[in-house]
This record gives sequence, structure tokens and C-alpha cells, in this order.
Amino acid sequence: MEEKVTRPACTEGFSPDAVIRLEEATKIYSLPFGDVLALDKVCLEVMPGEFIAIMGPSGSGKSTLLNLIGSLDVPTSGDIYIDGHNTRTLSDDALTELRRDRIGFIFQQFNLIPLLTVLENVEYPMILKGRESIKGNSRARDLLLKVGLTEKMLAHKPKELSGGQQQRVAIARALINDPAILLCDEPTGNLDQATGTLIMDMLLEVNKRGKTIIMVTHDADIAAYARRTITIVDGKAT
Amino acid sequence: MIFFELSKRSIRLNWLRSFLAVAGIVIGVVAISSMGLLGSALTLSVTDSLSKVGDSVIIIPIGGNTAQNAMEMPFISDRQLQQIVRVVAPNEAVPLYVGADKIEIGSKKDMASLYGIRNEQILLMVTIADGIAPRGTSGALIGATLADKYDIKPGSRIKVGDKTIRITGVMEKQGMGFDINPDSALIVSDRWYSTTYGQDNYDQVIVKVRDINDIDTVKKSVERTLNRRDDEVAVIDTRMILDMIVTTFGQISAFTTAIGGISLLVAGVSIFNVQMMSVTERIKEIGIIRSIGTKRFEVMRMFLYEALILGLIGSGVGGLISFVGGFVALSLVLGDASYLFYPQTLFYIPYGMGIGLLVTLVSGLYPAWKAANLNPIEALRFE
Repeated sequence: MEEKVTRPACTEGFSPDAVIRLEEATKIYSLPFGDVLALDKVCLEVMPGEFIAIMGPSGSGKSTLLNLIGSLDVPTSGDIYIDGHNTRTLSDDALTELRRDRIGFIFQQFNLIPLLTVLENVEYPMILKGRESIKGNSRARDLLLKVGLTEKMLAHKPKELSGGQQQRVAIARALINDPAILLCDEPTGNLDQATGTLIMDMLLEVNKRGKTIIMVTHDADIAAYARRTITIVDGKAT
Repeated sequence: MIFFELSKRSIRLNWLRSFLAVAGIVIGVVAISSMGLLGSALTLSVTDSLSKVGDSVIIIPIGGNTAQNAMEMPFISDRQLQQIVRVVAPNEAVPLYVGADKIEIGSKKDMASLYGIRNEQILLMVTIADGIAPRGTSGALIGATLADKYDIKPGSRIKVGDKTIRITGVMEKQGMGFDINPDSALIVSDRWYSTTYGQDNYDQVIVKVRDINDIDTVKKSVERTLNRRDDEVAVIDTRMILDMIVTTFGQISAFTTAIGGISLLVAGVSIFNVQMMSVTERIKEIGIIRSIGTKRFEVMRMFLYEALILGLIGSGVGGLISFVGGFVALSLVLGDASYLFYPQTLFYIPYGMGIGLLVTLVSGLYPAWKAANLNPIEALRFE
């Protein structure tokens, strides 16, 4: 007997092929001075291969949305489906596996692991997945060379590289487990314009090869790389 | 192993702090191991030298109706002696006089213990290294320490009190004993002692028990016969004393080991502190690795590895120092480090190391748990 599920009205017409689906996703933070509504019944459908920019003023809920899609957090109410998995029903370990296997993160601060070398930073998610092998090793190397690093840089610690180079390493790391989705939080925010353009071209290239990209930015020029822009104001998406 | 590698690098990055935490563990392990080790070796050494005495039952008068008046030392009466001889048979009862007197060797003066023993029973009590046992009433055996000190050979004459006595033999060195301590003593015939000091009754009786397993039977039959109405005598067996000493040593050793444990506790606090610092400093890093797919237990493992590495190094070095230090200390104190190699002594090295490791892991548990349960979003935002 099939269980009858009531879907919110906003999801009418949503495709079953969507890689990301938000159904009235709401996030409320309980703070000492009262509850804060960070995200208010957001409905969103993202098809495979889309490139979406999320824009909005500070404190509008952009980061909350990205955290929810990135499975770093779960909605207070409503549902979020990533690759068919309802994140609200998943255990912490299952959410972690989802991040590891299906999502690549690119941060404004690059967020590389300072104790590991450039090569090890890229290998790390692969090792987590248990694909530690000599073959895997060459995959990380290939990827790093492909994003424009030289062989000599691979043994360096991240701090020894320029911002642009670090962001390239971060892109290689995000791609190593061949995820379906790339989540970028102000990927060019800490880079000069020329480097930022190079990084954006690289992301565009990645998107052309089929990866879904969701990018938070407040820079309209950067948002222009995306094919669709979603604006968040006061927790509501438009 | 990527987590192990991260732990290793974190320790290396903060090497001074890690080194100090390890030093704490080393001190704690050394304190526990060496205390236990020395205690065990000393117990073994004492047991060894005491058990050479053999199994004797010592019967000492405790006053009561045997004493003529309160000022006089109690003694074994003829009636009591006869009863003892009868109930302990076929084991031999050796009655003896026990005293001390001034001695003169040439111009040198000293004090010596004196034992008056029946001539035919002297060889039951001691072994002669050189010479023979006294036959008549005028000879004496001299203890090894005393003989060494004044270079006395069989045939020498020494003065005991006012009388001159001829040394017929030198006894073998015997070490400390419960029944008699002949090393710094003279053994004379009971008749010589009795005439010289005007004493008719013996001071104590020692029963040499042939079969160790009979010791309890002998003890009980003496007590049953002599202490039927009043407690006339105290009956002590060497095994009982030995047990008492071993127990006492064990208690002292346990006590000092416990004090050593306190230093390990302090070391545990320092490991806890170091691990908490490590977690606090790496909050951002924890946020990064959690966001890119590291599970909670993997984060926990990473920090536990860190504690484990510190604990292993500390315990290993501590164990090594305890072994070498124990060897040196025993060589100096006992002049013999062989007691270190007995299993019950060596046991204290892995014991101390094990406790050291346990303390480290327990101390590292909370920081690791805290790291694993950080909210990844907040950790990522941490600067």
C-alpha cells in the first residue's frame, strides 16, 4: 500500500529529475532574545546542470539557504531533497556522507586544511570515501595540474600559495569525489578582479561539463555568470 | 592513515606543549612503576634473606605466674620446658639463654649478644665456617661479623665480662633471623652461661620443625598445653612473621604507588589541558573537515590519536626510565639488581605504562568528544 504524501502547493509542476528540491523549507533559529526566522517557506527546484546565483543583502538568509542545501543544517520545517534524499530524515552520519559524496564546497576563505600539503588537501575527501590508492593519488595530481597548479606547488602547504592558487586547490578538492552539486560561497570574495574572472571561467567550464552550481554572491558581475538568479530578501526567495 | 597523519602533524606543530604534556606522563609512569618495582624487589629481598632462617617456632615466656616479681624478666620454667619437649616431639626443642655482655679483644672493647645453648644442640642452630663447636664449658663460637671486625680466628682468646673464653670456631654469616642473630654474637654452652650469670631458667625455647607443614600443628599443641589456663607463653612462628613483614611491605609499596598515582593524575590534567587547547585552536579546521564530509567519530578518532601518541611516547619513555632507574637504584640499595628480573617485579613496568596510557586516553576523551560534536556551521565561521 502506497503511503499518501501531501505535497505543498508550491511544488506543483516540480520535476522528479530535480537534483535539489526545497519544499516550503523554513529555518528558525532559537536565540536568547527570541526566535529568528532566517528562511521562510522557500520553494525551489534545481535541475541537473543548472548554474544558479543566490543574491541578497547581508542577513537576508543566503548563507542559511546554502547551509541547508549543503546538508550542513536541516530545516526546522518543510523538506529539502538532495539527489532524492530528504535531509530532514537523515542521521548526522548520513548527512556527512551526502556532503562527502554528492556535494563539493568552495568557500570565500578557501578553507584548506593548514596541516596538509596541497596534494593531500585534494586527496583528503577521496581518502574519506575510502578510495585511497595509487590510482587515486594520480587523479588528485591530474586535477591540480588541470586547474593550473604546477608540480612544484603540490608539496607546499596552502599558506605558501597565493589566494587565487588556493582557490584553485579548493576547486580541485571540491571536484575530487565527482559530486553532482558544487556550492560556492562568495568564491571570488577574497580575490582581485583578474583572478576572480579566472576562477569564474573555471567554474563556468565545470558547469559546462554537467555539474550543478549554486553560488552565493553579492556581486552582480559575478552573478551574471549564472543562468538563473534567485534573490533572497528577509528569508523569502523570489 | 590521514587522521593519524593529521594528529602527528598537530603534535609536531605544537611540539613544546606536547613535549611538556609527555614529560608529565613520563614522571607519572616513572613514579608508579619505580615505587611498585622497588617495593616488590625489597619484599623479595627481605623474604629471601629471612626465609634462610628456616622454619622455627619460637616460644617466649610472657610473665604471668612464671615471674617471681614484676621487675624480673619472665623465663621458661623446668615444667614448661618438659611439657614443650614432650608435645613437640619428634621435633627438637632448643632451650636457650639470651643475653649480652661486654667483651674485650686485646685492648679493644665492645658489646656482644650472648646465646647459651646446650653443646649438643648448637649445630642445630648455626653452621660453622671455620673450627669446631665448643665441647666443654669454656669454648665459644663467634659470629662472622664480629670475627671479621676484630680478626678473630679459632684459638683466639677473648674476655667476656670478667672471664676469658677460648674461641673454638667462627660461624658462617647468616643474615637477619627471627630466632637468633648470631652474626654479631657469641654462642657459649648453656652451663657456662648459667654459672657465669647465675641463671637457672631458660629465656626462650626454639623448636626446629623438620617438616614445614607441621608448623601449625606444633604451634597449636604448644599453645594448647601451656596456655590452657593462663597465657604463659607467646608462640611465634617464622612464617607468621614473614607473612607480616611481606604484608607490611606490600602496604607501604601500595601506599607509595598511590602517591605516584597522584602525579599521574596531574599529568592527566595536563593532557586534558593540551587537548582542549588543540581543539580550541583547530575549531575552524574541524569546521572545514566536517563540512567536506568527515564524520563525527572520525574527528573524535583524530583527537584520540593525538592523546594516544602523547600517551604512548610518555608511557614508553617512562617505562624505559623506570627499568634503567630501577636497575641502578636496586644495585645501589641492595647491591643486587637481580630482583628486578622477577616477573612480579617487572610487572610494575607494564602496569605503570598501562595506567599512564589509560589516564591519557581518559583525559583525551572529553576534548575529542567536544571536537566531534562542534556545530560545523559555527566552527566554520570561527576565526
